Amino acid sequence: MRNGWNLESARTRYLCLLLLVLAALASGVLSAQYQKKPPDFGGTYSFPTPTHPEPRADWVRTLDVAMLAAGLGLAAWIVLNRRSRDGTVLLSIGAIAYFGFYRKGCICPIGAIQNVTLSLADSRYMISFGVIAFFFLPLVATLLFGRVFCGGVCPLGAIQDLVLLRPVKVPEKLDRALGWLPYVYLGLAVWFAGWGLHLTLGTWQIQMGRRFLICEWDPFIGLFRVSGPFHMLAIGVAFIAGGMFVGRPYCRWLCPYGGLLAILSRVSWKKVEITPGKETDCGLCAGACPFGAIQHLRAEQASCLACARCYMSCPQELERRGIPAGDAALIQVQRP
Amino acid sequence: MSEKSTRRQFIEGSCRVLGLVTVGGAAGLLTQRTSANAVYQVDPFKCTTCDLCRTSCVLSHSAVKAVNDFEKCGYCMLCPAYMDVLSKPDERGIPTGKVCPQDALKRRVVGKVDAEDPNNNYYEYVVDEALCDGCGKCVKACMAPAGNGSLRLEIRYSRCVECNECAIQIACPDRAIVRVATPGMAPAGPAR
Repeated sequence: MRNGWNLESARTRYLCLLLLVLAALASGVLSAQYQKKPPDFGGTYSFPTPTHPEPRADWVRTLDVAMLAAGLGLAAWIVLNRRSRDGTVLLSIGAIAYFGFYRKGCICPIGAIQNVTLSLADSRYMISFGVIAFFFLPLVATLLFGRVFCGGVCPLGAIQDLVLLRPVKVPEKLDRALGWLPYVYLGLAVWFAGWGLHLTLGTWQIQMGRRFLICEWDPFIGLFRVSGPFHMLAIGVAFIAGGMFVGRPYCRWLCPYGGLLAILSRVSWKKVEITPGKETDCGLCAGACPFGAIQHLRAEQASCLACARCYMSCPQELERRGIPAGDAALIQVQRP
Repeated sequence: MSEKSTRRQFIEGSCRVLGLVTVGGAAGLLTQRTSANAVYQVDPFKCTTCDLCRTSCVLSHSAVKAVNDFEKCGYCMLCPAYMDVLSKPDERGIPTGKVCPQDALKRRVVGKVDAEDPNNNYYEYVVDEALCDGCGKCVKACMAPAGNGSLRLEIRYSRCVECNECAIQIACPDRAIVRVATPGMAPAGPAR
């Protein structure tokens, strides 16, 4: 084999490299001719610096986490200790103001499901401390105090809770059947966040990359931002309109994070108990609960959203507080 | 009755402890993987100004805006990003059409002003962010060889709501939306 133009010989390779470098230099010189230098104003003009707004400072991000932790603690204290509906309403308004309108619905524990999944599925994905805290703090709070996060801290729950005007009782069977939807949604969301959909059936193919379904179909985030794609705003308005008559439809039948909390709340340390040890089994609380969470005359932890509506319907609770019971007492007297 | 309830309490208690340990462990595992706080930004070397920044952002008025780097700007009178060089010229031979559909790129005469001949003047170009919708037409027009590449698209953190996952990142065909750690994130790269 001749030595001259063998591509594998070292000399030819160096020659090629040299040619490449020369070509690159030449093109650099040519393109440099087109580049116009900034003019020399002779000191009459100072170049303005382009502004780059800083991202949120680390301490503001820490404040979010602190607000979440404080909100969870406050919610637990209001619902379990103070047993106050007024307190829950105030906390809800605070949550809508801070996590909703100020933070524009991001970050939230519901969406954090996807960040956590993605960072577990793909080690290159960056996850921030804030997201970790937002995902795990409500889980811990639920193991300790039940679904207090749903009760007054979640802005999505709070906005539905405040628009609830005239709750209609949903048939129990339908309620239970729809109660499986959060887990279907959770599965879909986790799958799409971590892996995406790649299906091939013969010549028919579906290729969808990773998507954050929960965020793309979030009903209320568009309202908090007062902007967004049409489908998000439309779903939001629909949920608000429906939520006036059906208690918190998103929380009960769609929210994937609510599904997680429902499982954990079954073994929570403290529970919502309307009159522990002194039940008269009058059933007034069951009528006061707009979420069908009072089953067999006791609050069912998995579906109790810790809204504190039931307390004031209870004659025993009224007596404890020294409030004249009114109609409630009459009903109790009539019962044998 | 009481025995049954204590057994139930024991099971619930163990489940609770197990849950707390699992939750704590998972959180601990994830903390090892974090890299502090991250933000989204446009990589100007990958961006091809495809217009999806304008339409994909979750905000109806996108958080992506064009930014002019004055150090690289040529301050030209005939700016290809300001005026549509192919549009009909007026009596002085200056094109009348503008590149920006929103008329968000504003200019003013700077330096020594020659009132007679506008071609002799220098102009400072500033993007009006209230009008800019991030379509990137000016960025494209400012690319070499016609322009200096001083204009580029940038995610403005004063507007960005820091979604859990950036909707533009999903839509971007050039993978030009990157996630960077917050310290030292200033996206001032050299012109392409």
